[in-house]
Amino acid sequence: MATILRNLTYQGIPIWRNIFVIQWASQILSGVLVVVLVSWFFVNIGNAIQERDIPYGFSFLSRAYQTPIGQHFLDYKSSDSFLYAFVVAATNTIVVSIVGVILATVLGIIVGISRMSGNWIMSKVALVYIEFFRNVPLLLHLFFWFYIVLALPPVRQGYVIAQRLYINNGGVSFPWPSPTNSGLAGTWIVAAVAAVIIGWVIRRWLARRERDTGVASYPLAVGCAAAVAVGAAAWLILSVAGGAAPFVISQPEPHGTFGRIAGGFTVPGGLIALLIGLVTYTSSFIAEIVRAGVQSVGRGQTEAARAVGLSAMSTLRDITFPQALRVIVPPLISQCLNLTKNSSLAGAIGYSDLTNVAKTMTQTAPAVSIFILIMAAYLAMSLTFSLIGNLYNRHSRFTAN
Amino acid sequence: MRVNLFSAWHNSAMTVMAGIALALALWFGLGWIILEANWAVVPTLGGRIIIGQYNIEAACPGQNCFWRPQAALLLVTALLGMAWAVAGGGVTKRIALVVGGVAAAFAFLPYGLDRMGLDVRLLLLANLPALAVGWALARYTRLGSASWIAILSVLAFILTLVLLRGIPGVPLLHPVSVIYWGGLMLNLLLAIAGIALSFPVGIVLALGRRSRLQIVKLMCIVFIETFRGVPLITLLFMSQVLVPLAFPENFPQNSLVRAAIVITLFSSAYMAENIRGGLQSLHPGQVEAARALGLPGWQTTLFISLPQAIRNVIPPIVGQFISLFKDTSLVYIIGMLDVVEISRAFIQGNPEYLANAKELFIFLALVFWVFTYGMSYVSRRVEQHLGVGER
Repeated sequence: MATILRNLTYQGIPIWRNIFVIQWASQILSGVLVVVLVSWFFVNIGNAIQERDIPYGFSFLSRAYQTPIGQHFLDYKSSDSFLYAFVVAATNTIVVSIVGVILATVLGIIVGISRMSGNWIMSKVALVYIEFFRNVPLLLHLFFWFYIVLALPPVRQGYVIAQRLYINNGGVSFPWPSPTNSGLAGTWIVAAVAAVIIGWVIRRWLARRERDTGVASYPLAVGCAAAVAVGAAAWLILSVAGGAAPFVISQPEPHGTFGRIAGGFTVPGGLIALLIGLVTYTSSFIAEIVRAGVQSVGRGQTEAARAVGLSAMSTLRDITFPQALRVIVPPLISQCLNLTKNSSLAGAIGYSDLTNVAKTMTQTAPAVSIFILIMAAYLAMSLTFSLIGNLYNRHSRFTAN
Repeated sequence: MRVNLFSAWHNSAMTVMAGIALALALWFGLGWIILEANWAVVPTLGGRIIIGQYNIEAACPGQNCFWRPQAALLLVTALLGMAWAVAGGGVTKRIALVVGGVAAAFAFLPYGLDRMGLDVRLLLLANLPALAVGWALARYTRLGSASWIAILSVLAFILTLVLLRGIPGVPLLHPVSVIYWGGLMLNLLLAIAGIALSFPVGIVLALGRRSRLQIVKLMCIVFIETFRGVPLITLLFMSQVLVPLAFPENFPQNSLVRAAIVITLFSSAYMAENIRGGLQSLHPGQVEAARALGLPGWQTTLFISLPQAIRNVIPPIVGQFISLFKDTSLVYIIGMLDVVEISRAFIQGNPEYLANAKELFIFLALVFWVFTYGMSYVSRRVEQHLGVGER
């Protein structure tokens, strides 16, 4: 307040030349302008909704959706509510994103490192891969793989590999553990997670002992052995207690008159095309990020590592790559976010992701409400990714020591 | 050779394995391309790849409208000829010759005259004289300067839009609704408009986000983060359903303009972040020196910070241009038949070509690749020209 008074009563510069007044006036003016424009937009939409009797509100969420969803990882039937269908669709997107992010990161790192390889053929193959895959629209990738999957033979003439792997235009089926009637499958999963945690703790403890005392402790091997032992023990106990093993391997088999594949686990064709397309496309970007990151580490680091006798592989694994991670991770996370957002193209090849289901929903439910929901869902996903990024940045910042 | 391929036993093993894999891939790949693949699907789709449904009977009743996109192409080659004369060779000359040459070479495609008439072929051949006319115009008149070319490019773009859209009442320019615009023409139009508009909008947003004015800064942050957080396809679909509601019912609606605006806004949010990176990489001494010399704030920004900042981030900016060009294929969601969607619709409608879909999509991938690779090639040449990383 005092500042404003001083600026207004000061006689030297006229008010309209005062930088303080100009800045605040222009800010307030532009702010008001934007608010007016945005509210004009939404007020108009509100009016249109009332005048043209377009339904609005969120009461539809508890209504039954009444529409099948092609693929779903959660149990779903048409009588479920809109809200639940929305959750099912979001789960579809999240599953594709998580699997895609993991595969794309692994493939991207492999291609990025091949690109830097001293081996001429490897580096050129990686270059062609990167230049071709990232310069073509993702939609083309998806259509290409989708029509390859569609052109596969039907179930009866499909490829069968070793009576275990069934490949046909319905998708790929392979053996998969399925829970038995003993009802202890969930218990064993909990025990397995606990076993992994126990192994991890043991590994950390041994690694610290090795670092502090110099006693060779083989932390990784012992940790893995401990995890396997605990898991196997839990398996045995649960098998005896329940009268049957918690899981059996379920084999895919042709079934019924049409030879439909039952049993095992079937990845539908649309999902396969989507994953291959997303992973190859995103990994070409990740490869470039990896290359830029590793090259950003000073050459002296590599030379010093080679001078003390580390092998090329060990130099990369223990010296260059850990330092490069600082540069790699932020753009890598933004690529993973891109993959998540790009999975919204799934609708084009018939996979029921969030956008695709939402698009179908707008035919029977208020469009405005659905848009608010998908905006919120995607913003939540991107905020999660930036949260991970910020945490990593804080964790990896150069500290004063 | 020895150092590269056979320096150690594991390197040799890798070379041999990669070599065998490469040879097998080439053997089967080339064998498939030459012997097995049925490329007939590409010429069957033919001109629809380039202009979509632009000259079908419903779009252009009683006449052949193919000449209109072709006339627009002549404008482009003439402008390229002018640019060649002004730049005096180098990469501009190469691009001008390639575009003119490829367009003219299309005239000799082995189609029967019933599928590709003499008029179409002559208009394609006319690209070479157009190139020469542009070159001569820039060489021997006062139009031969970069600023004139910029002005003429904007005029040519507007003229192209008018030409394609048509004028009611003019006999040869029967109006063609934008729903019939399609093919590669649509992708290129959207990409050019998007690139030309999202660059300045991105600069404004980046400056706004770094501004000391808190309200402006907040608005820019909200805009950028919202548009970066949501997939483009969702935004396009929302624009299709929501935006018409905000206008009176009889207000003329244009899905092409809407798509162009959404793509521009989406891309400018990313552009803003790239340019902000460039601004942050500048040494503060640059701005301080400029202010010490007495330049006012806007001149410091316009003549000192921005040119250096943009020069530093040419690769990500061009990367964003490329990504915008690729993203134009997403307009399928609002029912526009761009080059990818018209191909998909063709396969869908002609199941006998289902097995040849991969040939068609490989061909389209090559088409996209030529354009995007051209863009990154130009950006590398521009960087070399500006001496990035050298001073």
